[in-house]
Amino acid sequence: MRLKRTGFGWLLLSPTLLLLGLFGVFPFLYVVWVSFHEWNPFAANPEKVFNWANNYRALVFDRGFLASLGVTLAFVFFAVSSQVILGYLLAQAFMRDFPGKAFFRTIHTLPLIMAPIIVGSVWKLMTTPSIGIIPYLLRNTVGFDLNIGTSALAAFVITVIMDVWHWTPLVTLSLIAALVSLPPDPFEQAQIDGADRWQIFRHITLPMIAPALIATVFIRLMDAMRTVDEVLMLTGGGPGSATRFLGVHIFKEVFPRTNYGYGSAVSVIVLYLTIVVCWLLYVGLIAPRTTRR
Amino acid sequence: MATVQIRGVTKRYGGVQVMHGVDVDIEDGEFVVLVGPSGYGKSTLLRMIAGLEEVSGGTISIGGRVVNDMLPKERDIAMVFQSYALYPHKTVAQNMGFPLLMQKRPKAEIEEKVRKAAEILDLTKYLDRYPRQLSGGQRQRVAMGRAIVRDPQVFLFDEPLSNLDAKLRVSMRVEIKELHQRLRTTTVYVTHDQIEAMTMAHKIVVMRDGRVEQIGRPLDLYDRPANLFVAGFIGSPAMNFLEGRLATRDGRRVVETADGTALPLEGAAAEDGRRVTYGIRPEHISVGEGGIPVKVSVFEPTGSETLIFGRLGGQLIDALVRDRIEGEPGQTLPFRIDPRRAHLFDTATGVRL
Repeated sequence: MRLKRTGFGWLLLSPTLLLLGLFGVFPFLYVVWVSFHEWNPFAANPEKVFNWANNYRALVFDRGFLASLGVTLAFVFFAVSSQVILGYLLAQAFMRDFPGKAFFRTIHTLPLIMAPIIVGSVWKLMTTPSIGIIPYLLRNTVGFDLNIGTSALAAFVITVIMDVWHWTPLVTLSLIAALVSLPPDPFEQAQIDGADRWQIFRHITLPMIAPALIATVFIRLMDAMRTVDEVLMLTGGGPGSATRFLGVHIFKEVFPRTNYGYGSAVSVIVLYLTIVVCWLLYVGLIAPRTTRR
Repeated sequence: MATVQIRGVTKRYGGVQVMHGVDVDIEDGEFVVLVGPSGYGKSTLLRMIAGLEEVSGGTISIGGRVVNDMLPKERDIAMVFQSYALYPHKTVAQNMGFPLLMQKRPKAEIEEKVRKAAEILDLTKYLDRYPRQLSGGQRQRVAMGRAIVRDPQVFLFDEPLSNLDAKLRVSMRVEIKELHQRLRTTTVYVTHDQIEAMTMAHKIVVMRDGRVEQIGRPLDLYDRPANLFVAGFIGSPAMNFLEGRLATRDGRRVVETADGTALPLEGAAAEDGRRVTYGIRPEHISVGEGGIPVKVSVFEPTGSETLIFGRLGGQLIDALVRDRIEGEPGQTLPFRIDPRRAHLFDTATGVRL
């Protein structure tokens, strides 16, 4: 009560609020503001020119943007769902005891500590048709010619695989944490109650790890929606616009063309889409369980 | 309903043997309590009956079928865990209906059985609640409800009352007993609390170190404990043990303690001079004329009775008397021992003489 009266609590919070405002709220509002302007600071007229919602209106008719949105959603869907399935299976595997478990668990988390730009360049090396090991092996084993420079599908699939390679460990780690914290008794009880392995997964494990699982999916979803550096390094968004994901699209709008107003508008839309997708997931997965109460 | 036969069951974890040939016969409809101090193998035995632990040797049969290699779900048993093991994300009704759902029974049948079980257990109001919204006693009842909806051959209870407070434990004890009288399902119940064992069981199996110390009806164990362990474990407050030697004084057999006190006996089938442990329950000692003088250290009045702690020679002895006795610590009171109620054990082996 006394804290409330003197405002001393606000004083204690002020450093956090200041930093949050400085690095979070202000830039966000600034981007929103810029998105309503024509602004090319390196052009003949470097001034911001207010142009109402023209940037947003242009977006709707921008085929490049719409194509980019399509491949991004496909990328997010394939990458995140593969990561969740693979991550869960790996987490279950690491719940068991086997020789060398600690070693494998450590190895398996190494991709997480690599910078995306490095991941992108390493995968570029591995997939370049003339020198890469992946095209070489595919050619010599199954006779498949992998060329991410010419095949749109191949490029798309490789970006998904790269993302899965990079980020599955995150899912594994958070699911291991969730599984370890589960009480053992309900699982034994379920065995006695007559559930088989699939039923135990569906009725017991899945609902009990759902909070951790959904939080992980949200994190991965938001990250995947704004993937830039790895893909830019690997394919440059090509061939054509096969891997021109929204992040790459924004980058290409803003940096070579210095079209800051338009780039800001795309960013705002990406943020909005991310919120919408997460909200849909939330409504679809969590809300039905809470409202039934 | 079914019989349960446990024959020569052993359990090994790696090189360590924790259960050494346990034999127990459980009749159809019987309420059997496995009792013993914590960590002495009774829960392991129960989990082997449930199929949650492998049997290293011997056989376990339920209803005449050897179940050693059967999965828990094939054994037609229901179990209530100490933690209740409720599914936190399911409502009371869903928790109770889960075993039936797994058997793919029709929805109407599941609802009907859950409703009936809820009525028996007074849970009807709570069917839509989640476990976290219930008190400990209600959760306990939900766990029992989940067990009874399946109408299994055997109920297994693993220390089901240990997480409840003392008052609730007494009332749940009564409820479980009533439930058994109503359903007549064969029940195996594990507890470390000898009062639970005494009050609920048709038959008690006292276990220690992975061995059966004694099997018998509650009052038989109380009246004729087979050894020092059972004598000390069954009964509360615990039996007094006084060490001494058999002797004959004035033509009567007695146990003579180190300080020369003669403890009365009635018939003793062993030779004089043998080292023995004399057992007498506190409730079989009264205070009155002609008793053995005991120096009292503490009085514990509980209202209905008084517990008196004292020393005889160097040995502790306590008496539980109906009368309200008030006195000063340090005073001497005459303890009268009923010789017909005395127990005699061989000090070296602990076996009853």
